[in-house]
Amino acid sequence: MANTAAVPKSFRVELLNGIHAFGTSVVRAGTGADTFKMALYLATATINADTTAYTGTGELAATGNYTAGGVTLTNATAPANTGGTGIVAFWTPSAAATWTALTSSGSFDCALIYNSTQSNKAVGVFTFGAQSVTAGNFTINMPTNDLTTGLIRIS
Amino acid sequence: MLVETNKGLIERNDLTVKDVIYDEDNARVVATEWFFNNELVRRDVNVNILRGLDLAGDAEKFN
Repeated sequence: MANTAAVPKSFRVELLNGIHAFGTSVVRAGTGADTFKMALYLATATINADTTAYTGTGELAATGNYTAGGVTLTNATAPANTGGTGIVAFWTPSAAATWTALTSSGSFDCALIYNSTQSNKAVGVFTFGAQSVTAGNFTINMPTNDLTTGLIRIS
Repeated sequence: MLVETNKGLIERNDLTVKDVIYDEDNARVVATEWFFNNELVRRDVNVNILRGLDLAGDAEKFN
């Protein structure tokens, strides 16, 4: 036998599940999954890696069937590390994010996923080119939930 | 069939429909544009995220 330096495969999934707290931890209200939301941002906004939490600045105006804060993501599938060597942990919302009968207040190109249970802390920023929607539906379809395309992956 | 537009319900046969499909960095966008008398009266957009975000760490090299 030989020893091998490694980050345990299980650790990555546990990070996604909030098992470890290396710093001062938050007090969790329960053992259920947090609520994650997705908000849309105008092309003129500044949402990027420095974004720490949801902000209303630069968000689509709450008109034309858009509600400030966006929509709640469906989260029916727990993080996993199945497939491949098990090194990659991944999580993907289990349904598309959809706005119906939307008329966007301007050109938008960005979606922010944030944790509304934990002080609206930012989780991920996604861009998709400038869009406008007129009296129509806007849908963000999620990628396949696996180790190569899952929406949030730790490898 | 009637279609909801920014001018209210319009008969489907009175509308011209155009699909616009293109790729962004990490997404495939499918926009459906509805025109009435050459005026855009409805636009639907589907964004298909092709690949999510990868928080790759240096530890990968140990595996």
